[in-house]
Amino acid sequence: MDAGMDRSRTKLHLDPRTKLFMVFVVSVIVLMTATTPLTWALRIGITFVPLALLVAEGRVVSALRFGVLYAVALVLLRFFISAESTGLLMSLLIGYCAIVAQFMPVIIMAWYLIRTTQIGEFMSAMQKMHVPDGISISLAVVMRFFPTFKEEYAAIRDAMRMRGIMLGGGSIVKMVEYRMVPLLFSCVNIGDELSAAAITRGLGANVKRTSVIELKLTVTDKLLMLCFACLAALFVAAKYWKAL
Amino acid sequence: MNNKLKAKDFITIGLFTALLFVVEFACGMLGFIHPYIVASYVILIPLVGSIPMMLFYSKIDKFGMLTIMSVLMAIIMFVTGMGWLGAPLIIIAGLVADLIAKSGGYKSVKKTVLSHGVFCLWICANYFPVIVTADSYRQDLLDGGYSAEYCDNLFRAINSKTIAVLLILCFIFGIIGAYLGKAVVKKHFEKAGIV
Amino acid sequence: MIRIQNVTFQYKGSEQGGVRDISLSVHEGETILLCGSSGSGKTTVMRLINGLIPHYYKGELSGSVMVDGMDIGNTELYDLAGIVGTVFQNPRSQFFSVDTDGEIVFGPENIGLQPEEIRRRKDLVTEEMALSSLLNRSLFELSGGEKQRIACASVAALLPKNVLLDEPSSNLDWKAIGNLRRVIQRWKEQGKTILISEHRLWYVQDLVDRVLFIRNGQIEQEWSGTAFRAMDGAALQRMELRASTVEQNFSLTQHENRETNPTAGEICFKDFYFNYEKKQRLFHRKNTQNDPDGHLTLRVPDFCLRRGCVTGLIGSNGAGKTTLLRCICGLEKGCGGRIELNGQRYIGKKKLSLCYLVMQDVNHQLFTDSVEGEVLLSMDRQDSKAVSEILASLNLADYAGTHPMALSGGQKQRVAIASAMAAKAELLLFDEPTSGLDYVHMCSVAKLLRNLAEAGKTILVSTHDPELLSLCADDILHIEGGQITEHYDLNKDTIGKLGAFFTEQIG
Repeated sequence: MDAGMDRSRTKLHLDPRTKLFMVFVVSVIVLMTATTPLTWALRIGITFVPLALLVAEGRVVSALRFGVLYAVALVLLRFFISAESTGLLMSLLIGYCAIVAQFMPVIIMAWYLIRTTQIGEFMSAMQKMHVPDGISISLAVVMRFFPTFKEEYAAIRDAMRMRGIMLGGGSIVKMVEYRMVPLLFSCVNIGDELSAAAITRGLGANVKRTSVIELKLTVTDKLLMLCFACLAALFVAAKYWKAL
Repeated sequence: MNNKLKAKDFITIGLFTALLFVVEFACGMLGFIHPYIVASYVILIPLVGSIPMMLFYSKIDKFGMLTIMSVLMAIIMFVTGMGWLGAPLIIIAGLVADLIAKSGGYKSVKKTVLSHGVFCLWICANYFPVIVTADSYRQDLLDGGYSAEYCDNLFRAINSKTIAVLLILCFIFGIIGAYLGKAVVKKHFEKAGIV
Repeated sequence: MIRIQNVTFQYKGSEQGGVRDISLSVHEGETILLCGSSGSGKTTVMRLINGLIPHYYKGELSGSVMVDGMDIGNTELYDLAGIVGTVFQNPRSQFFSVDTDGEIVFGPENIGLQPEEIRRRKDLVTEEMALSSLLNRSLFELSGGEKQRIACASVAALLPKNVLLDEPSSNLDWKAIGNLRRVIQRWKEQGKTILISEHRLWYVQDLVDRVLFIRNGQIEQEWSGTAFRAMDGAALQRMELRASTVEQNFSLTQHENRETNPTAGEICFKDFYFNYEKKQRLFHRKNTQNDPDGHLTLRVPDFCLRRGCVTGLIGSNGAGKTTLLRCICGLEKGCGGRIELNGQRYIGKKKLSLCYLVMQDVNHQLFTDSVEGEVLLSMDRQDSKAVSEILASLNLADYAGTHPMALSGGQKQRVAIASAMAAKAELLLFDEPTSGLDYVHMCSVAKLLRNLAEAGKTILVSTHDPELLSLCADDILHIEGGQITEHYDLNKDTIGKLGAFFTEQIG
């Protein structure tokens, strides 16, 4: 999740619950295959939405990277790989493109959710959805540790480079050991200090946690959710009615 | 002994869930090279992930910690776009693993190893989206006139027949991993006095 | 009003750090300083007051602790949140959130206050502590000093009447210490009861009403603030306490006249240019060097260090000290500098074989399960005789089979140095080796550095601890804005310059 994102920069400000709903809808859609032009159009359309949202939030480079990958996979699948393709390389390529084409929409949507939601907002959303405090806290800790892992691992990797043990002296077991063990020592330590500091500031109190961020579903939120729900309904209808 | 989960426990659960997720992500990077390598998740993740997991097990002293961890994994799976189909598998595996660990008083080596084996079944939830699509896709393609070989190529390693194999592999490597992880924990964390 | 009565506490499974039959009364609005060496029990006293003992740290406890009429042993920690606030030593591990705003409101959110009240407190604290420039940012981007300020704000947002600070200046540079001092002053003006546990006494000694000296788990001595301020440096050193006034940090009384061997030669560093920022591109591209436009993080064309000497590297926060160390060591791939020694050039990865960096957090560079193993890891050819010799020279012979993580901080540092010696590194770099160390340990580090220098190694120490420099540095290298601004020998005449640099920062 992003921290300290400049709110004035984003024109579009969606409630995290809306984004979760969108991920939900898209994850349902990607489970169903698209075989007719209509379903394909819907599917590609639904991929465009997160791409457009990413652009709206200023993340043009990510949007481009995803867009290009998706387009390439689609094009390869549609035009260059025929039903008669044989051989190991071909089958590897087919497998890869198929999975990319199938799941890219939800990956992009999830990326959008993660990159544009502040942790505080996310916690607040979970409170509104009546998720128990304990689980919210654990999730917050999960997200809090990701940047920490990055920092700690970077330092450990530097130390490994300095001592020439990046490849563990040729042993894969040692490669894993040299990375994992110092990381665990470090993080467990941080975890202990973190706990003490958090508990002395009232974490774990008998009252329900509140949030300074007050979320409200705006018109944009509701419209977007409605839109997605309709798209999903349309997709299901298009898929199963044609079959009848 | 107070059996209610406290703030410190939730923080511990959060930390180790994050670690497990990082292991999954790192192993998953290999999957980007090719989806078929995805089948290797069942070997890599239980083995590598066993190190943080065994350390986690040494800190578990109440019921619910493993279950909550599995709930978190299910939520993370959903949020990262892997869907929610796997959620029942993950949470049930977590619950059963928790019960097994509890029956050993959280100290029994055999029960811990068994518990880890069961817990590792969560890894197969990664495959669920592909499996669901695989079968329906295969059917659609056959209906559309594509050759059977094409379909085979498409979803060779992952279909509803192989999922049983994958589950068993998860379990077995979970057991092996638990022994390996325990050895590492003993070598380092017990020796250093942290455990 | 804090009252500790006849408390004895021993940590479960450890004989260290406990307290024995300790009694203490702190009146409302008093500011107390706890001093004493590491392991003396200062932190334990803090934990008794904020409730971490007995609710978080287990052990045998007898006696009673009362804070504002509440019996700590029988009050849950979360009920104490608005009564006692604690600022801990390590800025990096005490925050729960990822962003500054979230961290400041963390406490009030925990106790279930309404959003308007939380906002009111956040605005109050932000204004009091002048934090508006730090709002809405990721905590991971902040410097140590900035993180510590947010930690203080987070504690203040709960409006506690009692505040404990456990070695809060340990990881901070002098500018940050100046900020911290102002925060403590503010709190004192607000009438809060404050307890500070510290090794660095100089920044608080004029704020305190009473000073307690703790040794072996007991309060050995007590002075009024005025009496303590009247004590001289020698008396403090006898009690193994660090400098209590700013000036005492810069005394060269222990700085012997060393003969530096002029024929020992030099190590020269050329063309160290480096740019920290990387732009996000569609496809990755390597960092470009030699940018004459002045956007470089590091621009060091040429300097030399004398071999067999200890050089102190100083500079304000963000000046480029750590970057320089990392580039010299060969850890920054984007930096193309070269090192020249004895006519040989070391470029790129070869620098790794010449240098060894002892990191600020030594835990990152310990990999094996025994001290012996750690030293052997640095050797190409396993030579157990050499290993024993190295360990003996560093007082680690008894710990050959011990797991490095079971050792104390100072011992871990020595293990890292042992690895450096086994790796036959000529140039040893140190990043803040005395963070949070008490007097005795700081002196041993100084002695160690001098021994290494005498053995012929070249030492470069990046530090904001002038006491360490006064004890062991031969010369000073000053870096600002990525460039070397000064390089001078450290002696009676130049100590003033060193002093000026540090005192300017306090503000």
